[in-house]
Amino acid sequence: MNDRAPLALSVEDLTVAYHSKPAIWDIDLGVPEGVLMAIVGPNGAGKSTLIKAVLNLIPRAAGRVSFYGSPYEQARSLVGYVPQRGSVDWDFPTSVLDVVTMGLYGKLGWLRRPGRRERDLALFALDQVGLLDLVDRQISQLSGGQQQRAFLARALVQDAQIYFMDEPFAAVDAITERAIVKILHQLKERGKTVLVVHHDLQTVEDYFDWVTLLNVEVVASGPAAVVFSPENLQKTYGGRVSYLHDGQVLAAGD
Amino acid sequence: MPAEDKRVWLTIAGIVVLGICFLPLGQWLFGIRYTYTVRVVALGGAILGVISGALGCFAVLRRESLMGDALSHAALPGVAVAFLLAGRDLGFLLIGAGIASWIALRFIAALLGTTRLKQDAAMGIVLASWFAGGIALLAYIQSIPDASQAGLDRFIFGQAAAIIESDVLLISGAGAVVLLALALFWKEFKLVTFDGEFAIANGFQVGLINTLLSTLIVIAIVLGLQLAGVILMVGMLIAPGIAARQWTQKLHHTVILAAVFGAFAGGVGAVISAIDADIPTGPMIIVVAFSLVLASIALAPGRGLLWSSWRRRLDSRRFARQNALRDLYRYALSHGSPGRPAPDAFIRGIGDRSAALGLRQLLASGLVETTGDSWRLTDTGIEAARRDAHSLQLWDLYRLYADDMGLPLLAEDRQLDIRDVLPADAIGQLEAMMEQRPN
Amino acid sequence: MMALERWLIELLLHFAARDEINVFLRSPQNTATIIGCLIAVSGALLGTFLLLRGMALTSDAISHTVLLGIVVAFLLMTDVFGMVGDTSSPWLILGASLAGVGTVVLTELLYRSGLLRQDAALGLAFPLLFAIAVILVSRFAEDVHLDEDAVLVGEIGLAWANTNSHCFDNCATVTISPDHPQAKMARQCRNCRELGISPRDEGAEFVEICSNCGSYSPAQAWQAGYLQKEPSLVFFPKSITVTLIMTALSLLLALVFYKELKLTTFDPALAKALGFRPGVMNYALMILVSLVAVGAFDAVGSILVIAFFIIPPAAAYLLSDRLAVMLLLGPLIGAAGAFFGYDLARGKFFGFIEVGDIIAGLNSLFGLDLPEQWDSSISASMVLMIFIIFTLVWVLSPRYGLISTLIRRANQRRRFDDQVVLAHIHNHQFTDRHATELRVKTLHLHFRWTGRKMGRVLARLRALGLVAVVNGLAQLTARGETQVHAFRGAMLEAHNMPDID
Repeated sequence: MNDRAPLALSVEDLTVAYHSKPAIWDIDLGVPEGVLMAIVGPNGAGKSTLIKAVLNLIPRAAGRVSFYGSPYEQARSLVGYVPQRGSVDWDFPTSVLDVVTMGLYGKLGWLRRPGRRERDLALFALDQVGLLDLVDRQISQLSGGQQQRAFLARALVQDAQIYFMDEPFAAVDAITERAIVKILHQLKERGKTVLVVHHDLQTVEDYFDWVTLLNVEVVASGPAAVVFSPENLQKTYGGRVSYLHDGQVLAAGD
Repeated sequence: MPAEDKRVWLTIAGIVVLGICFLPLGQWLFGIRYTYTVRVVALGGAILGVISGALGCFAVLRRESLMGDALSHAALPGVAVAFLLAGRDLGFLLIGAGIASWIALRFIAALLGTTRLKQDAAMGIVLASWFAGGIALLAYIQSIPDASQAGLDRFIFGQAAAIIESDVLLISGAGAVVLLALALFWKEFKLVTFDGEFAIANGFQVGLINTLLSTLIVIAIVLGLQLAGVILMVGMLIAPGIAARQWTQKLHHTVILAAVFGAFAGGVGAVISAIDADIPTGPMIIVVAFSLVLASIALAPGRGLLWSSWRRRLDSRRFARQNALRDLYRYALSHGSPGRPAPDAFIRGIGDRSAALGLRQLLASGLVETTGDSWRLTDTGIEAARRDAHSLQLWDLYRLYADDMGLPLLAEDRQLDIRDVLPADAIGQLEAMMEQRPN
Repeated sequence: MMALERWLIELLLHFAARDEINVFLRSPQNTATIIGCLIAVSGALLGTFLLLRGMALTSDAISHTVLLGIVVAFLLMTDVFGMVGDTSSPWLILGASLAGVGTVVLTELLYRSGLLRQDAALGLAFPLLFAIAVILVSRFAEDVHLDEDAVLVGEIGLAWANTNSHCFDNCATVTISPDHPQAKMARQCRNCRELGISPRDEGAEFVEICSNCGSYSPAQAWQAGYLQKEPSLVFFPKSITVTLIMTALSLLLALVFYKELKLTTFDPALAKALGFRPGVMNYALMILVSLVAVGAFDAVGSILVIAFFIIPPAAAYLLSDRLAVMLLLGPLIGAAGAFFGYDLARGKFFGFIEVGDIIAGLNSLFGLDLPEQWDSSISASMVLMIFIIFTLVWVLSPRYGLISTLIRRANQRRRFDDQVVLAHIHNHQFTDRHATELRVKTLHLHFRWTGRKMGRVLARLRALGLVAVVNGLAQLTARGETQVHAFRGAMLEAHNMPDID
């Protein structure tokens, strides 16, 4: 790893506790610019907690986080976030276009309303995720995969430098999975950095070029080809990973 | 104008017409005479309905219906204390009510933050205790000479007849401030209610926005008390929002409709109860508001019960027809030619009751003919079955290659003809691909 | 019910004379306290299960709608069946309880329609049913003998006056017939009304009627002076009987089905797998809650009763983890509240503070002019007292109390801070960056802590002999090293499930 390459995200000594029990324990993590990084680990390993703590969504017990060298408060416009799909009420009375426009609310500031420009940006993002035909749909009428893509579009309109996605591949159809992968690669081509909480060990090496293995502490972090090894997985998951003979991961018991 | 907007305006127009119709109807049925007093009461009721309907939407969307119940019960001791300290001025009474509700809110939060009690228990504790405190204080106030005509009773079940012109001015002023705040912070309220986490990540001060919204809801509750009373206020708060939600899919439409429903319930309920001092206003308003909910649940287009049962019926008819056609075609092909008849027992054996429904439809549209104990596709029937089979093949290809070919991404619905779903050029690409493949 | 009362009185007569019993029960305070305690005991027994099942507000819904059941049952009794309406009649209680169970079913149906959420369905259903009941009460007030006040707070203070009389000696029932010496005869105009004339007019025809004929129970006969010897009577308040039956039923349910209730409360899935029927237990509980709510209606009205269901079990829940202990503490707390509550209504707080003095103090402090005579609603005061006890428990409970929780959390936080610093030193002390990471002067910057906080933690760790400072760099001692490993082991164990394969 080259220490002098600009770090898109740098985490130092981060500790997060729920009721004084550590969910994340003195983590150091550096993510270079322009990588597609998977955060992988067993259930309860603190994957989502890591993202939320980095984004100030939950309080940190200790630690420093910086984006391109500045703290979150100053780097907010550089950051895009795709929360877990289950975190919101999908029966909320609002349309797909509306949800995507919400991605721009942060830039508008108090009292200003979204207008024509915001609408066009949202439509452009919806086109990228293949939902242009559904802009006026109520969000509960979308399939799970379409909901995920709407969330993705909401993050895309933010036009951020670094994206955080919490389990975007959880329970989506094949079409959505491919659509998301396509967008991940487009983002990478445009020099963006993407951090994805990921569950499916089989696809890690296909989709991502950088991997962080996490189990309360960082087990390993670096280029997928180097880090994603049977020994490291063994360290992360304990005895709960089975392999095919050629060393390919078959499944991780959750 | 989009269909949804049109529907919302039609519904609003319908409610206004209903309201106007009520005027002569009320005169005829209940012998209401529209004196100055009754007009003031109706106006006051309607304005209060607008405020609680609009803010109540957010209480419903935040899943805080029962919190609304707890907070309105909790207002009672505030009214009593304010009376003891400052007399019967409505403004002071409402401020007292607001403070008591607010303390109740903090108390619930403290219980939840420091104990393992769940929200429902914490709300139940506060609701019952604050209410008991209010009742105890009211009983004490009864014992004070000449305080008995203070009219604090109206805060328990509501009393529209007690609303006078100066009250209406106060209500309108406070209501205007509340609605103005709602309009100014619309974007923030919407975002925070829908996805608080995303709002934090985007730098919104979610704690502050939530407090502001809660405060507005408390103000709406407190203003509504003199009309609906502490016990039934929750109905006045949430019923219009629940009714409105059935008619529309957009937040601003929901809020506007809820305000209109609220005005109707408040106005009509207040007027009916003003005829006879025996009928407390709160219960009357709740009954009117609940009728709106019931009507909405039954009738609302798209979501309503009548609508969805009708749609289910249509769907099952369509599926029955499609399945019967597919079964016949498959049987005939596997026995040599598409025109081959299938025995009645076979075709009914596959789909039992829905098969009969499907065959009846096919027969009526001339796609099959029957000899009594066997069924045969007609030429048009064979044509239709071929088109359907072709569509299924295209769906198979779409599933495999849509991504590589850069086709629009859709959820698969194999019950539909793919040619109705995809644009013509995409169909062309798929057809071309089918030609290339040997089978 | 009469038989039960008689049996009870006979039991009591072993311990006290008849007159003593009568004097005791005729005191409003005694009767009200007994009834309050009984409601508190039955409410707390059932409420414990409601609380643990996350159904605390179901009692709210049931108690609101029970009013509708009572009013409808009352109107049916009087108007349709021509009986005398009586809110302590078993028929009325059963009928009204059905309404309570009905609400639970109705709410479930509403939210199963998928068009509104559970909280909204509850928040909509019970105000509606309550509203209908209140409208009926106000429309048929004369028929129902209920006013809005009774609905709100009940009439526990008057419960002593609504009695059944039981006779034990000299129990002659007296029948007065027109030829009885004490019969009061009077003349009444037979045809005045139909002819529209006055009795003085000509053509008025008269009949002899007897104004006091009929049969009299011993109590009535004695009161009317038809008996020479005083019958030996005991007057037993009806509300005591009703609430006593409710308490017995609740106790029976809690004792007989203790195991089933416990299992269906904590693990419905397992209970089902073991062949228990969670649904049946649920409805048994709902039926009893409705019965208790109806039985308590006369005494405390239809809203305050929620407090008796929810608050005492909640207080018990803050004191104990064990179901059996909760079932003991809850009723005790509720009964204590009811006991002291009566005093509060009459102006005495826990027996030694006068509410009047407090008001006097407020008067002089704020220059107010409030009467110092405090006389308030008994049922509301009982609820207030229960709430005050709850608040005391909440603040003081040794395990889950406010004070102990705050102290415990502060300790945990401190220990946790220690561990964070230890782990940091451990992770960095043999790396090439240790000179920057472990410099004591700048250590706080890595954590984004204040220098003071880091100073405190380091001082503590050095005092404990876990950390040493060498050349301005922090270092783990051997003991510190063991600590880190022990904590790390415990922590990772908590996170990882045991390996199965």
